[in-house]
Amino acid sequence: MFGLVKGLGLTLKNMVKPRVTYKYPHEPLEMPNRFRGIQYFIPELCIVCNQCVRICPTDCITLTGKKSDDPNVKGKVIDTYEINFEICILCDLCTEVCPTEAVVMTNHYELATYSRDDLYKDMEWLSQNNTLVRKENTLHPLPKKTGAKKA
Amino acid sequence: MTEENNKEEKTAQSKEDQEKKPVQRPAARPRPRVKKEAPPPEPSPKEPLLAELVQQVTEKLGEQAIEESYVNQNGEHLLTLVVNRDHWAKLASLLKQEANWQYTYLQNCAGVDQQTYFEVVYHLYSLEHHDQICVHVKVDRDQPEIPSVVNIWPAANWHEREIYDLLGIQFTGHPNLQRILMPDEWEGYPLRKDYQPLDEGV
Amino acid sequence: MLRTEEMLLNVGPQHPSTHGVLRIVVKIDGEVIREATPVIGYLHRGTEKLAEDLNYTQIIPYTDRMDYVSAMSNNYVLVHAVETMLKLEIPERAEYLRVITLELNRIASHLVWMGTYLLDIGALSPFLYAFQDREKILDLFNELCGARLTYNYMRVGGVKWDAPNGWLQKVEQFITMMEKRMKDYHQLITGNEIFIQRTRGVGVYSQEMAIQYALSGANLRVTGLQRDLRKEHPYSIYDRFQFDVPVGRHGDLYDKYLCRMNEVEESLKIVGQALASFPEKGRVLGKVPRVLRVPEGECYVSIESPRGELGCYLVSKGKDKPWRLKFRRPSFCNLQILPVLLRGENMANLVAILGGIDIVLGEVDC
Repeated sequence: MFGLVKGLGLTLKNMVKPRVTYKYPHEPLEMPNRFRGIQYFIPELCIVCNQCVRICPTDCITLTGKKSDDPNVKGKVIDTYEINFEICILCDLCTEVCPTEAVVMTNHYELATYSRDDLYKDMEWLSQNNTLVRKENTLHPLPKKTGAKKA
Repeated sequence: MTEENNKEEKTAQSKEDQEKKPVQRPAARPRPRVKKEAPPPEPSPKEPLLAELVQQVTEKLGEQAIEESYVNQNGEHLLTLVVNRDHWAKLASLLKQEANWQYTYLQNCAGVDQQTYFEVVYHLYSLEHHDQICVHVKVDRDQPEIPSVVNIWPAANWHEREIYDLLGIQFTGHPNLQRILMPDEWEGYPLRKDYQPLDEGV
Repeated sequence: MLRTEEMLLNVGPQHPSTHGVLRIVVKIDGEVIREATPVIGYLHRGTEKLAEDLNYTQIIPYTDRMDYVSAMSNNYVLVHAVETMLKLEIPERAEYLRVITLELNRIASHLVWMGTYLLDIGALSPFLYAFQDREKILDLFNELCGARLTYNYMRVGGVKWDAPNGWLQKVEQFITMMEKRMKDYHQLITGNEIFIQRTRGVGVYSQEMAIQYALSGANLRVTGLQRDLRKEHPYSIYDRFQFDVPVGRHGDLYDKYLCRMNEVEESLKIVGQALASFPEKGRVLGKVPRVLRVPEGECYVSIESPRGELGCYLVSKGKDKPWRLKFRRPSFCNLQILPVLLRGENMANLVAILGGIDIVLGEVDC
């Protein structure tokens, strides 16, 4: 009898405790700011330095640059920028090396689709993915001549 | 290497350009050479231990047993022996049984493709003396064969299978030398440097 | 005497109790196992081969996927090997963060083991408790490095992020909470008569055998041998902390449970000490060359991962990519003893003994 009361006591105690489950599909989960989600790409900032392509461990980024239409602007501007989320492992290395913070992480994580083709995200899609952007991105571990920023 | 030298001679003035463009490649090349010469001035504190070890081994197994011996300055001053393949089986059992060695614990066993030859690297640990050594055994590339040490350290069993699987080194006397990680019908040995992947991806 | 026929039974590769894709071909005679052959390789991704084409920073995310239950220690062993070769100085603050994350990860890993192990042998509720607590650690990691399992946190020369504001206080709260929880666990499981009967004297092996098969971690310590690489060959800043190495006496499954639970308590102690002496300021990433070229040579380093001795053998030819990278995976080495332990055992003990070894298939197959 005492055991029953004791057990019920525990149940009652847990009833008044705050809920530990989430209503996930109905309410999006809130992720901490540093969460590594789908990238947001800002074409205007990109200097086509190709560093993100080189550091990517799975080779999922492809980009092409072109000569700027504006004769005053030196160097290249970005033409196409694609990330293949079939193989992207969201490891954060591309945002880490980007010297201008042109590619940054967001808190979005939902990538499930019905077709694999939808997983190729092009520049347009990536530049519209501009909500919940992560605040700290490039962490410049390595000294760089052009504007070494510390996040 | 020769190409490198030619470049340096030919384009003395365009060197500046070169240094900017291909991300310090030419500049970084000579660096290892400098470092290689740096260590000798300060011999490792473990040097006498190595001499002692080598002497003991040669006493027991003769001059040919050890091809080379050095203290690995990069890797925490680890005593390293390069042992002749024909003497390895005998030395292995000595290393385990001899009272002043007692390397009873096989920490790691790895195969390395050195392009002209293969190498099997054993890291042994003595729980009695809290002492670690590393043994390299060179294996011929055309006829990769080495005596198995499973009867001495049973722990070597799967390690040797893995090396056989990935590098194609035959361990003679192994109880069950079969592929372990790759499928049984796999062709080729993936960790060899000249391995051509069969699949082109999806 | 009942006449039985020998039968071949395939356990796995899709079986919840094999914790992944392990397959065991068991030859049974009635209820008794005559022979058991583990078949592995279903999760082989060729990490070591892939690593030969990647530079050192790029390999770090790949190591996350080896032992995915304690990715921090994988991260650490790789950067530790590179740092040993380069003889780098690591900033103080980074070392502390490393120790804290490594130990928190050890706690998380042991909680997963404890939960799933008890689930394997028939107790459901400890699993729920354990995962609830582990979730708190994962949330802490999520806040620190942006991922719950694939941390990609360590870098050659330090760590990626400094602790965010208030993170250390949260760790402290977790420690106090966990210390209380440990008492609950002991009350719930340690004294449980059913659990003791199920695990006492099962899967016993001698110290000699453990050494022969080069077992490591709790699997070795359970036989009474006090070998913990954090004590024996201190790496990072482990020599600054006071902690004990719990050992078992009987070498059976119950002792393994006790060993691991005591390790959690020791880890809590270490994290507590690390928080107390955490440096106020400082960099978390040391000065490292822009392109990491490891000097020609080789090195073998090993650390104490939650599963045992996790080693990394690195051969470099002076390039920015490794010539050969070999991981000594504790799960792989520990699993070797399974056929020996299973011979002559009852079929019902298979899952109990396998679970006791504590393997992670991502690491076995690499």
